[in-house]
Amino acid sequence: MFGSTSSSQPGFGGSGALSHAYIQYPPLKCRSDGSRCLFYDDGNKLLISPTTDQVVSWKISPFSSDVAPTTDTISEGPILSVRYSLDSKLIAVQRSNHEVQFWVRETGETFSQKSKSESDSILGFFWTDCAVCDIVFVKTSGLDLYTYMPELKSLELVETKKMNVSWYIYTHESRLVLLASGMQCKSFTGYQLSAAGVIRLPRFEMAMAKLDANSKPVLAAEDVHIVTVYGRIYCLQVDRVAMLLHSYRFYRDAVIQQGSLPIYSSKIAVSVVDNVLLIHQVDAKVILLYDIFADSRTPVSAPLPLLIRGSPSRTNAQSSETTLTNNATANLYGDDWIFLVPDLVCDVSNGFLWKIHLDLEAISASNSEVPAVLEFLQRRKLEAKKAKHLCLELARSVIIERRPLPMVFWAIDVLLKSFAYSLKTGSYLKGGKPEKPTVSGAPENSESGKSVKNESASGVESRTVHNSGFSTSDSEDNNTNVRNAKAKNININTNSSSENIEEASRIGDHSVNQPLNANVSEQQESQVTSAAIPPDELYSFVFASVEEEMIADASYLFAIIVELIRSASLEKIKLPPNIYVLAVRLLARNERYAELGPFIMNKIIEPSKEVALQLLETGHQNIQTRKLGLDMMRQLMLHHDYIVLLVQDGCYLETLRFARKYKVHTVRPSLFLEAAYASNDPQHLAAVLRFFRDFIPGFATTSEHSTFVRALADMTPSVAA
Amino acid sequence: MGLSSAATTTTPGEPLKFCIFDLRRGQHEGEELEKILFFFPADLPFPAQLSVVGLSEGLITFTRIFSPEAACEVIEAEMHSHVFFEAEPDIWMVMVVAKSKETEAIWRIEALRSVLKEIHSLFVMFHGSIRMLLDKEPGGGLTRSHLYTFIMDYLSDFLVGNKFLLPNFRDSLKERGTVQMLTVGREAAIEVQSLVGTLDSCMGNALGYSVILFQDLLVSTTLSPDDTVNLFSYSTLRLTPRILSSGGSTWSYLRKGSSSHAESALDRLHGFQDSSSARGDNYQVLRPLQHGKWSKGKDGFLVTDIWGVEVGNLVPTTPTIWLQQIEHKMYLCAYQYKSVTILLLIPVTSMLNGEEGISMLKQQLLENASSKIHKVEEKLAKGWGGENAYHVKGYRYLLVDGDNNISRASPSGKVTTLAKESLLALNKVREDVDLERSRTKGDDLEICIRAKNNSWVIARATRGKQLYIVLEKANETLLYASEAVEKFSDRYCDGAFSLD
Repeated sequence: MFGSTSSSQPGFGGSGALSHAYIQYPPLKCRSDGSRCLFYDDGNKLLISPTTDQVVSWKISPFSSDVAPTTDTISEGPILSVRYSLDSKLIAVQRSNHEVQFWVRETGETFSQKSKSESDSILGFFWTDCAVCDIVFVKTSGLDLYTYMPELKSLELVETKKMNVSWYIYTHESRLVLLASGMQCKSFTGYQLSAAGVIRLPRFEMAMAKLDANSKPVLAAEDVHIVTVYGRIYCLQVDRVAMLLHSYRFYRDAVIQQGSLPIYSSKIAVSVVDNVLLIHQVDAKVILLYDIFADSRTPVSAPLPLLIRGSPSRTNAQSSETTLTNNATANLYGDDWIFLVPDLVCDVSNGFLWKIHLDLEAISASNSEVPAVLEFLQRRKLEAKKAKHLCLELARSVIIERRPLPMVFWAIDVLLKSFAYSLKTGSYLKGGKPEKPTVSGAPENSESGKSVKNESASGVESRTVHNSGFSTSDSEDNNTNVRNAKAKNININTNSSSENIEEASRIGDHSVNQPLNANVSEQQESQVTSAAIPPDELYSFVFASVEEEMIADASYLFAIIVELIRSASLEKIKLPPNIYVLAVRLLARNERYAELGPFIMNKIIEPSKEVALQLLETGHQNIQTRKLGLDMMRQLMLHHDYIVLLVQDGCYLETLRFARKYKVHTVRPSLFLEAAYASNDPQHLAAVLRFFRDFIPGFATTSEHSTFVRALADMTPSVAA
Repeated sequence: MGLSSAATTTTPGEPLKFCIFDLRRGQHEGEELEKILFFFPADLPFPAQLSVVGLSEGLITFTRIFSPEAACEVIEAEMHSHVFFEAEPDIWMVMVVAKSKETEAIWRIEALRSVLKEIHSLFVMFHGSIRMLLDKEPGGGLTRSHLYTFIMDYLSDFLVGNKFLLPNFRDSLKERGTVQMLTVGREAAIEVQSLVGTLDSCMGNALGYSVILFQDLLVSTTLSPDDTVNLFSYSTLRLTPRILSSGGSTWSYLRKGSSSHAESALDRLHGFQDSSSARGDNYQVLRPLQHGKWSKGKDGFLVTDIWGVEVGNLVPTTPTIWLQQIEHKMYLCAYQYKSVTILLLIPVTSMLNGEEGISMLKQQLLENASSKIHKVEEKLAKGWGGENAYHVKGYRYLLVDGDNNISRASPSGKVTTLAKESLLALNKVREDVDLERSRTKGDDLEICIRAKNNSWVIARATRGKQLYIVLEKANETLLYASEAVEKFSDRYCDGAFSLD
């Protein structure tokens, strides 16, 4: 939409600003003239802006600022809500509290579905890929489950779930609908409408602190969020009185409270980027990041504001775009900012749609607890390549900075565990597909245009609708003081860099080629989709590169290698031989030859030809080590190399016996004969000659034989003399 | 009266004489007694002592004419064998054993010499070299009292009843001066190495060493092979859980631990008194081999007052020992958890604040390593096959890796089932191998004989390793015996002995 991004000048000072999450300029401009409001159809990942007689929609997955809108014509009338069917063949428009109208896109035919009684009003509806129905109406009296009959152009009621509903929330990502009821709206019933069927969750109450005994705060829909992280479904509930964010986890047969997070703003918005929970403290205009993979309730990093990256600098702000941007930036966390689950934010007044990104570099730089950072990075899928790169850098730097060994051990362990996990789940070997999150614990049934591929690739992210949509107001009276607001409110207008813009335009180009309802996920462009680091890369990027710098401190590095071997053995990962070779080298450097023995004998250092050769090389300084190398050669059945080396040692008689026993024919007799000749011992030479005469047919007639027989004859008198 | 009569009946036919003398001392006539640094039995009249020393010195001087590097090794007389060992330049240890009609008194000279070697290397570990002691105090009184208490404490282990039972032919499947290793799986080995790393980091920049034992078996060491052997010997003599719990399990790879009864018998026999008044000299004598002096503290560290007690607070002084390889005095810090014994050696010079530094180190060990130690103990205990773990059915064997000072043998309980003839034959074979090896310096060698009782006794040596096998109830043919060895070699020695 903003075609001329390349013409805009990069700003200055962008790198200096601190933030862990950012939105990338340019945004998707998603307001068409005459539109009244914006709707988000999370089932199809469409942003919909209806005008009086048209439905204009933008495909927002993959996210791109210059995606072309699609337009469908409908009849005039009030629009409370719009959603495309999951196969995109129908458009459903809620006209009133009692009527939903349907358009068949191909033919333009319409039909309506009305609620039976006046008192029974429709709160909303959503399409589903559930096995038993196609569309669900949420009404004050409960749920109506319908299937669509294409021949009859009508809906057929399949099932009704009766209950009183005050309001509801639904996300397509979790396939979960939560129905609030009761005076305080804190009593919930949940249904999961997955392909496996309809699962009714046990009824549960949400905790709400009371200001005093008489007050009964009413829970509002915007205070409850369904989030899906790592394939698990949580519900987050804002308790404005206690200033806590309660979390509940949904299981098939239970809803379990998971603990609470403190909040610093009465208005909270929630995003999920790459399975990281972003809690927007809207009043304070800062974000707290939580990675709730582990049961840790500590934020990943300090609260920092959201940043706009790549916006044109204000200094040459002449174009209208820049003005727009300035409006947008000035409007950061404005009243008409609406957060779309999982990771989108819509600036309704400007008609901008931003996608929130994590700044992995900033996060990793702001935390000195390296193992924790590595764990965090290893779990990132969206920017796996960058995460992997950062992990390697971190691993390298902890070693070079000679951090305390336990920390380094932990860091190594984290990396190997993560690699083992990725092997186990197959996400590594598949060459890049991130693990398929088991959304709602049910396989996806995709009969529609949306393919499974998209499902598995984009997985958890961007599949959810903030149910409150645009119909619910975000603005909320803030009667709470916000502590950090002023301190954290830094100027972010000037944050941009050419790099960011290039990146932005690249993404743009990429998506131009995609058809409108392309089922390509955002990750497709990066080859690496798992941050897991295979041991050979760990060796080449970390150990090989630090070896030179750690010469003075070989025992430190050796201790790390031992721990690496330990972790690998625990995780049953095979290490490349060069790690073992390095271990041998490091021990030899400190002249700890005596310790080498147990390492080899107990096969802590796994035998391989590389290790054997290193042992032999080290053996120049220490004869025992050479023996270890020779023994390893023999045990590895590297008979040819073994024989050649043994001859070098002068043990040719032993070698000949060995050669005969194992039928090694690749070694030429002259090797032995020359060695025996060089020993200047006629007995040896005679023995070797005899051996070949006896065991190689026709050897007595070769020229070699006669040469050495002559040589033997020459030697004998000299010894006798 | 009855007691003293018992003493007098054994003394005349004293089967063992043992002396240490310095050829550089007592060069002038009338000063010959100066040479003698140690003599056992101490109550032997001086002329008799001098005659033993004189004969030995004469033979040494004579044989040095032909072989200046390695003088006399043994004299075989009709009634006695004299075993020589030059412990330090010009300091000789000579052991005279009586050849008795009793058939039990059949020795292998090398086995006796290895006793002398062990005495000396242990002595040096605790006191430093004899020459150094002599240089420190030319009078020799200090050296004599040190040697006397030390060797008497050492010999007390061989005391059975009223007699010294020196290693004889029944110990042919043992090799003194080697360590016995615990065989561990790769996973356990890695855990052990990880623990070694942790111990290293506990010692910080001190550049210390660590030795880990499980029961009486060595698990890991960062010391040089020689120092490892010494420390291992000492640990199995005085520190392992079996010794500390005294009278627990009776099996041993080395020898039966002797009780305090033996010591009192020794004291009775030789009028040995407590160290403070030993032989009337006023030297502070360290008795590291004294029995029953080590105990396990509440924190798991082993404590002893052998090295004295700090004045004022009754905290035992941390033991110090000498390492051969680096010639540094080291603090010895022992920690025990169940079957695992951990020895830490820290250079005295790097511990500037002495005892305080040691207690800080102990604290660190407890904080950082104890969980790892527990894990390792658990792993090793799980993988350990017990006393007869290294028994191979049908075989009685001894495997010696001379390069690494490691040996492994059939459990002693199984060796006792062998017939006397087999053991005598093995003793003979070993003697021949010793001789052959001393001549040819480690060439390959193979001996296979059939003993009177039709058992096979087989010896093989190759590249620094030796294997001795006794097969009783085996088939008649040599081929069978040879195949049995081959099988053993392939299965238990990585094929080291099966080249043909």
